[in-house]
Amino acid sequence: MDLSAQLDAIETEATAAIAAAASEQDARALHAKYKSELATAMKAMGKLPPGERPAMGQRANKAKDALEKAFEGYLGGLREAAEAADLARVVDVTLPARPAPRGHLHLLTQVRLEAVQIFSELGFVVADGPQIETDWHTFEALAIPRDHPARDMQDTFYLSDEIVLRTHTSPVQVRTMLTQAPPIRIVAPGHVYRRDDDPTHSPMFTQIEGLAVDEGISFADLKGVLIHFVSRFFQKDLTVRLRPSYFPFVEPGAEVDMQCSFCGGSGCRLCKGTGWVEIGGAGVVDPDVFAHCKIDSEKYTGFAFGMGLERMAMLRHGVNDIKFYYEGDVRFLEQF
Amino acid sequence: MKVLWSWLLELCDLDRQPTVEEGAKALTRGGLEIEGMTNLGGGFSGVVVAEVVGKQPHPQADKLTLVDVITEKGGAATQVVCGAPNVPEPGRKVLWAQIGATLPGGLTLAAKPVKGIVSPGMLCAEDELGLGTDHAGIIVLPEDDRTALGAPAQQALGLDDWMLEINAPANRGDVLGHLGVARELCAVLRGKLVPPDLDLAEYVDRGGPAVEIAIANSESCPRYSARFLTGIRIGPSPARIAQRLKGVGVRPISNIVDVTNYVMFELGQPLHAFDADTLTTGVVRISHASDGERFVTLDGVERSLVKGDLMIRDGQTGIALAGVMGGRDTEVTDKTTRVLLESASFAPVLIRRTARRLALHSEASLRFGRGVDPELAAMASARAARLMCQLGGARVQGELFDAYPGKQSPVSISVRMPRVRMVAGVPLDAATCSDALSRLQFTVTGTGDVLDVTPPSARADVSREVDVIEEVLRIVGYEHVPSTVPVLRQPPGVRPRDRGDAARIALAAAGLSEAITYGFQSAERGAALGLAGSDRRSQPITVKNPMSQDQAVMRTSLLPNLLAAVARNASHGRHDVSIAEVGNVFLRRGEGVAEREIHQLADEPIWAACVLAGDRPAQLGPSGAWDVFDAKSFAQVAIRAVAGDVEIKTRATQSVPYLHPGVAGELSVGGNVVGWFGEVHPAVRKRLGVEARVFAFDLDLTKLPLAEPAQMRAIPRFPGSARDVSLLLAESIPAGRVEEVIAAVGEKLVTAVRLLEDYRDAKLGDGMKSMLWSILYRSPERTLTDAEVDKAHEGIVARLVENLPAHRR
Ligand SMILES: [Zn+2]
Repeated sequence: MDLSAQLDAIETEATAAIAAAASEQDARALHAKYKSELATAMKAMGKLPPGERPAMGQRANKAKDALEKAFEGYLGGLREAAEAADLARVVDVTLPARPAPRGHLHLLTQVRLEAVQIFSELGFVVADGPQIETDWHTFEALAIPRDHPARDMQDTFYLSDEIVLRTHTSPVQVRTMLTQAPPIRIVAPGHVYRRDDDPTHSPMFTQIEGLAVDEGISFADLKGVLIHFVSRFFQKDLTVRLRPSYFPFVEPGAEVDMQCSFCGGSGCRLCKGTGWVEIGGAGVVDPDVFAHCKIDSEKYTGFAFGMGLERMAMLRHGVNDIKFYYEGDVRFLEQF
Repeated sequence: MKVLWSWLLELCDLDRQPTVEEGAKALTRGGLEIEGMTNLGGGFSGVVVAEVVGKQPHPQADKLTLVDVITEKGGAATQVVCGAPNVPEPGRKVLWAQIGATLPGGLTLAAKPVKGIVSPGMLCAEDELGLGTDHAGIIVLPEDDRTALGAPAQQALGLDDWMLEINAPANRGDVLGHLGVARELCAVLRGKLVPPDLDLAEYVDRGGPAVEIAIANSESCPRYSARFLTGIRIGPSPARIAQRLKGVGVRPISNIVDVTNYVMFELGQPLHAFDADTLTTGVVRISHASDGERFVTLDGVERSLVKGDLMIRDGQTGIALAGVMGGRDTEVTDKTTRVLLESASFAPVLIRRTARRLALHSEASLRFGRGVDPELAAMASARAARLMCQLGGARVQGELFDAYPGKQSPVSISVRMPRVRMVAGVPLDAATCSDALSRLQFTVTGTGDVLDVTPPSARADVSREVDVIEEVLRIVGYEHVPSTVPVLRQPPGVRPRDRGDAARIALAAAGLSEAITYGFQSAERGAALGLAGSDRRSQPITVKNPMSQDQAVMRTSLLPNLLAAVARNASHGRHDVSIAEVGNVFLRRGEGVAEREIHQLADEPIWAACVLAGDRPAQLGPSGAWDVFDAKSFAQVAIRAVAGDVEIKTRATQSVPYLHPGVAGELSVGGNVVGWFGEVHPAVRKRLGVEARVFAFDLDLTKLPLAEPAQMRAIPRFPGSARDVSLLLAESIPAGRVEEVIAAVGEKLVTAVRLLEDYRDAKLGDGMKSMLWSILYRSPERTLTDAEVDKAHEGIVARLVENLPAHRR
């Protein structure tokens, strides 16, 4: 058999055999086998007269290409079959999802972080102080001396004659003013304690206190800051009503009402038909407080406010009993 | 403070009579919060004033009367069946609940036969209208009653009125009487105050006994006045007075006592009437009690006094605890014919202290405790005397004996207009301020940049410029204050990251739900952890005045409340619980602080803790119970959230009393123990009511360093090579020890060490286990050759075999 016929035979045999291979492994073995047969046949090329060599070379390359094409074709067929098989899979996607870790920040933590964020936009930074406080920081420095009737407003837990569980976050004002010169702009969130226990009062609750002290701070500034806060917090244009009230450490003092977020002010059960809900107390820092904190009340003025975070969360999320916040009931914690 | 709307209106001259809602709104706007409004006659309806025109016995029943009534002069009579024994003679007025009337309790009247005769409604007794408990007979209106026939019964009873509950600010003693509230109403509504009638001219008899008033200390008692009234006939008060007193929550007693209460509610000045015939010396002395002095108050209780209490004395004998309560022996009784009427002013602090110490909180002590204007005393005395003469047939005997050593000259306050505008943030002018202040009866002089302002004597709360600014603003109206945002003149500055929030956020992201529990707890709950006496946490700070035992001690650990929450969740069927708390615990500062006094503030470190009970969240079916390695993992999450990518060392420990001795680990960072994790000791959880196993960690976050910003490490450019080693070693050797030995070799090429298998089988030999470790070797500079890796690995294996000791498998 001449070389040309031999190459024809190998080519025919190889393409047929590879196409009929039973597995990828067989196909690889056949591919190797015919590759080597072609190589052996090529060795005979040197014996040909030089004039015939180029034509025979081309013939050999053609056989080689055919072999490779058959092999690639076989592999391609396998891939396509595998892809088709893969695409034929059906999964019941309505089965429940595998639970990713999903924890919950406490609603009060969420509300606190958000409130701090909103006030920070107006330049307020967080300040804090101890929950176990001196009588002086809690009352005396805030113009509530021992026999002042305002002490009855906040029934106090005592740890000793001079040490109390703070009844409000206002001692943080005092601590800040004693250690920092104006301008001051702080918010102080934290737990406070009062001897009070019913559906709207808890013996421990959370307040956020704000204080701004600088030259030229006015009552109007207080109003603007509070309006910014409630509007951002409730994501609605809500207004704030300041109502004259008495807190010994502010003068003028005010009770802060906001337009009812639920009915928008037209009156509903939440706001007892008044269109307003009470959210805290506020006012212009009393000169007596400045005097205790060694701040010149002729040069500086300031405002302060305090709000209950439970109340803010209640108004926005419909929590109807303050005790839920503190019971560790996962049915409550997992809702937020 | 309860006020009646009709009483307020009586003291105001207004252009137009406002509705009660308008009045409430005006008072609120001015700063008197209205806490509640009650329609006094709201308890019943359909009851009218009717005149009796005839009566005859019921033919079938002795005790029943057929009463003919009319509701219109000359109108047709209606026959009503009545069971009361006191049906009046024709001409008197009664109260007829007609068909369709509703009575307290929700009863609606329908026509019904009484012993065969149908009665169109009924004639009412007090109790049927919810006015009292009297059921002895029907209400018969006084002979001189002028209510129109057919008018609602409320009119005849003085019940067509509203009671407003006012939340009086703690510094406003002046609004603890109708006059003060009326002053506010007039200021807001631009009305004129109408003081009550004080004229005594027609009732005074000259002469009579004198009384000497001796005030020991004018600061304790700035003013004391007294006068005699004689010829008194004690009896019930007229309905109008009684009804008003009931309306403000005071039980009518007798004309004389009622007048003292009436004037107190009208003017805000508490008064006291002594039976003058029980006084013997002609000297009223006001002086402090001596320690241990005893005094019987009019409630019959013998009180032990202290030096701070102020006494009123007849000569040397105590007759009243000043401003708080009178004495038993000088009380006005049915037989009293002469009284000495006290109208005085006492130091508020003294009255508050005494009332608080003796728990004797009365309407009088409330008012004296807030401060009563000394200027009121004479006015109130005259007012009460006039009423006693009118109602009790009394005569005023002689003059008012008035000692007033504490008289204050009126204060003048300079108010700078630029300051007013600056504090308020409102461009107010002097005229506006003057107008607002005059409406409050302040005296104002000056019109330029400085006003001189004198508040009325009743307004002792106004003494400074800023107090006047508040008065102006509240009358102008807070609603006229614009809203501005303060200019920020300086950047807010830096603040360290919050450890607590870093841990909270990381633990929630890792899958735990955050709980917040009380800072205090019961002593038993605090003790449930079984901490040793040497542990600071075993000595909680105690609360002196808890409301309940659940507030007895401050928490020293987060775990008891969290474990109690596990029990609570289980009690309503929720057994899978994974919650964390990050919060302060409260520790006594320093060693040996005495139990009864915390002289210094406590330490309030912030801790993090979690409890894991039941199963992990599952996709389908049970996914397996939480175990100690979950607790360890969450602890590491919390540590790394605060401290960054620090090395956390774990050591088994048996010394944590609230953890299972065989399933407990101690965590340290940088050589400091920062907390523990493990299985909660079965005895501890049982004490807290938890049935099932609980895994937990607790960490003192304040002991952790705050993470510095993470610095990027070079991404490895060269591949690493892993080598495994299988070791046979004693079960007692912990995995942590293997890691320690590897680290101690100090081989720089070691990049990671992983435990692939921890295998225990009896076939391995008694007390033996097998561990398969994989060690990754890598150089930052080049690709390592097999020979280099093998050499490093063999060095480590040799040290493991020798130091653990272990066999290589
Ligand atoms: Zn509403």
